[in-house]
Amino acid sequence: MSIALFLSVFLIAACGLIYELIAGTLASYLLGDTVFQFSTIIGCYLFAMGIGSYLSRFLHRGLVARFVSIELMVGVVGGFSSSILFLAFAYTEAFRFILYAVVILVGTLVGLEIPLLMRILKERFQFRELVSHVLTFDYLGALGASLLFPILLVPKLGLVRSALVFGIFNVVVALWSTYVFREQIGRSQVLRAGAIVVLALLGTGMIFANRISSAADNSLYADEVIFSRNTPYQRIVLTKWKDDLRLFLNSHLQFSSRDEYRYHEALVHPGLAALPGAHRVLVLGGGDGLAVREILKYPSVESVTLVDLDPEMTHLFSTHPVMSALNLHSLTNPRVHVINADALRWLDDNTEQYDFIVADFPDPTSYALGKLFTTTFYRLAAKHLASGGLIVVQSTSPLFARQSYWCIVESVKQAGLRVYPYHVYVPSFGEWGYVIGSFAPYEPPKELPTGLRFLSTTNVAELFIFPVDMQPVPAEPNRLNDQVLVRYYEQEWKDVAH
Amino acid sequence: MLSRREFFGAPALIGLWRKTDRKITGSFANDSFPLGHRLRDRAPFRAPARQLRVPIVIVGGGMAGLNAAWHLDKRGFRDFVILEMERQAGGNSRWGENEISKFPWAAHYVPVPAKGESLARELFEELGLFRDGKWDERILCFDPQERLFINGHWQEGIEPEDGATQRDRAQYRRFMEKISEFRATGQFTVPMEGGAKPSPLDRVSMADWLAQQGFDSVPLRWYINYACRDDYGALSKDTSAWAGVQYFASREPEEKGPLTWPEGNGWIAARLIEKFRRYLRTGDAVYRVAPSGNTIRVLTEQTEYIADAVIWAAPTFLASYIIEGAPRAEGFQYSPWLTANLTLDRIPGQKNDEPAWDNVIYDSPTLGYVNATHMNLATHIDRTVWTFYWSLAEHAPNDARRLLLAQDWNYWKEAILNDLARAHPDIRQCVAHMDIMRIGHATARPAPGFIFSEERTRWLKPLGNIFFANSDLSGFSIFEEAQYRGVEAAKRALHAVSRG
Repeated sequence: MSIALFLSVFLIAACGLIYELIAGTLASYLLGDTVFQFSTIIGCYLFAMGIGSYLSRFLHRGLVARFVSIELMVGVVGGFSSSILFLAFAYTEAFRFILYAVVILVGTLVGLEIPLLMRILKERFQFRELVSHVLTFDYLGALGASLLFPILLVPKLGLVRSALVFGIFNVVVALWSTYVFREQIGRSQVLRAGAIVVLALLGTGMIFANRISSAADNSLYADEVIFSRNTPYQRIVLTKWKDDLRLFLNSHLQFSSRDEYRYHEALVHPGLAALPGAHRVLVLGGGDGLAVREILKYPSVESVTLVDLDPEMTHLFSTHPVMSALNLHSLTNPRVHVINADALRWLDDNTEQYDFIVADFPDPTSYALGKLFTTTFYRLAAKHLASGGLIVVQSTSPLFARQSYWCIVESVKQAGLRVYPYHVYVPSFGEWGYVIGSFAPYEPPKELPTGLRFLSTTNVAELFIFPVDMQPVPAEPNRLNDQVLVRYYEQEWKDVAH
Repeated sequence: MLSRREFFGAPALIGLWRKTDRKITGSFANDSFPLGHRLRDRAPFRAPARQLRVPIVIVGGGMAGLNAAWHLDKRGFRDFVILEMERQAGGNSRWGENEISKFPWAAHYVPVPAKGESLARELFEELGLFRDGKWDERILCFDPQERLFINGHWQEGIEPEDGATQRDRAQYRRFMEKISEFRATGQFTVPMEGGAKPSPLDRVSMADWLAQQGFDSVPLRWYINYACRDDYGALSKDTSAWAGVQYFASREPEEKGPLTWPEGNGWIAARLIEKFRRYLRTGDAVYRVAPSGNTIRVLTEQTEYIADAVIWAAPTFLASYIIEGAPRAEGFQYSPWLTANLTLDRIPGQKNDEPAWDNVIYDSPTLGYVNATHMNLATHIDRTVWTFYWSLAEHAPNDARRLLLAQDWNYWKEAILNDLARAHPDIRQCVAHMDIMRIGHATARPAPGFIFSEERTRWLKPLGNIFFANSDLSGFSIFEEAQYRGVEAAKRALHAVSRG
């Protein structure tokens, strides 16, 4: 009997330590800065245990019933702690507050356990033996938990299930106590019923554990992730919700299948439809093949060269059934040549001329990407323009990042090209901007391919009209030795986020 | 019973085996001190087998020598040779190359020459870097240029911003105001000879001058000390305040630079070497220069050159060891440097920090590293070469030279990795190869009092028809000074030859 009692001490000690480790691990995982998270969480947790120990003096009667209720509470809060924290991170702004609230609550409850238990057991053992045994098993429990946690629990069960399993242990201790101390409690039936309810809750939690643990990852991508891969160049994530497919590169949305036609029609047709004799087209970036899909609507186009850095990206959009259906198998079309290369290097190393060039790169979120929006880049691209040819550039949002947008326009201009800025509304992006660069004067097309869903001969000219809140602002050109664009962009999107 | 395997596995399991880092290959590169020491000790050299009459002999194929040749060639004078003791010409602008990139061995940039710097502009225009009033954007250092590892993370720029107090910032501003005043005097120019006037600044050290002026901001003093270590290889307490001010006041860039190339100033050296290949004799060490009558005998182990004039572009301190009748170059001090080229087949882990061109670690005795692939147009780089710089400024030059020779490659390799590990904990997993170069007399040290000393200025005058041309005549070793001294000596040599 006494061994069984001390085994309970072992179990509750283990449970207590597991909740602390879970909070620390989750916080480091979600917020980074491991040293800070673990230090503050261990500190708060131990302090809360002190509060619990202090509070124990105010409990006088019915100690066993109190102990059982506390076990049940620890079981619920501790057992669901990682679920609560994952969901708090995914759906609220108050993650840190909830984190420390959970830590302090669990700590306080755990702090109550040992003092209460010692007072309950003091009749059965000599004080000297009692202190020695309880503390021995307490520390043994801590050792067991701290070994089990990294070796078995995290790799095999994951954080959500581990917490739930240990919540169940708390409930088992509670149930066991109602049996061992049956003479000392009156309302054991009520407590047992309560324990069964908590057990059922935790059991249900186990069933849904998978969904909860993926919630944090999915919170960035609100929908179900259907493909995700880290390539040497970027993190590619595809999500799907009903009929909406979304592509994220390094967590930045690239398109939504619901409205990408607006983006890609506006990217390609204002330029290409104005070049009736265009034979050779170059697409830089755009490994999703969606711009190429639009380009292939022109029978006059004999060849399309697509230069994208990431082979996994072009492979995915050539072979994945859902993705290649979206781009109408454009990347496997015989008119299309896919080259995996660094765009700026490729332009520098090659000499071919093109009638139409599309620069469709991710936004300039880093100095590395910013190179693809520099005067050097546009000068090099201009060398590849056949006479009368045009280049079109994806140029971020003239509404959210107004100075960035006009900086890109200025950079194209500095490369010696005439510039024709225009914009379009894409629901999943907001207002989006482009700029056409050309040596010769350009006019919006009078004719367009048939079957377009957004552009028509009536609205194409309107794209070139800028409302007051998107009209030009002064901006320096983006140059390799002074990438003002990266700084404008960072500042402007920071302002949007706040 | 434990099986054999379990028995041997056990220590590994509990971690008793030494932690294994990947093996890093490499060695010392371009060691030149054996030859230098033979010259110093006046060891016997083989007598040359043939004799050649050449009107002008240039001794030393570094920037000064190559620019002397550049001037002679421009004046249509082609009767000269350049004698270089190393197998590769270029001096402090030597470079190397591996399968990843070219890389510098020492000098790695030139500040964008201002309008007044006509010599540098002329050369760069000729090399196609400056056209229609615009600098080639491929060689203006790409953004981000510099970063500093301070307080556990990287900040943009080398001037410490992170953790700087209001008081520090106020001192930064006051310092820059002082510098503007100095600039306005017109006495701080590039090259220095254009404006330099004897000044009391030269009599105190930069550190003392800062203290006198009430500059006590710790980050400001770190920054200025860094500048002195970087350009002069000396601590601010061992640098003339005039030279310290010159570093900041002599330049007012009208374009964001500097000019740089993957191989550093090796790019300039390579163009000049290519142009003057016919005149260049490498691995041909001059061991004696002996004036005799109207001519000067210049001896190497291959050839005895009979010259009318000699342009001495080698370091000035060597003159007394080789030129008959030359006095000792008293007062000339040189800092020894250690540079290393590290081949990285992985870029150290960095989430939000993009590598800059020049990367400096705050409070490190070293100068940090320059990334050779920074000037690559590619957006994605997965392998690179870093050039690591260390002017052993905290030691007296002689002690530092002894230390440089006493320690083996492994010692320096470990010292370099330990230094880098402060900012890059995973550096040992990234470096595959490291070559280390030891340069005993790398840069001239402008010690207090030297710039306006008789000891320096006496060498501006020729010794008969021997004209001195090394950048050390300016008191410090930078490209523009080497070019200026080289061209000046060439002008006077040409004059002497045409007169004769």
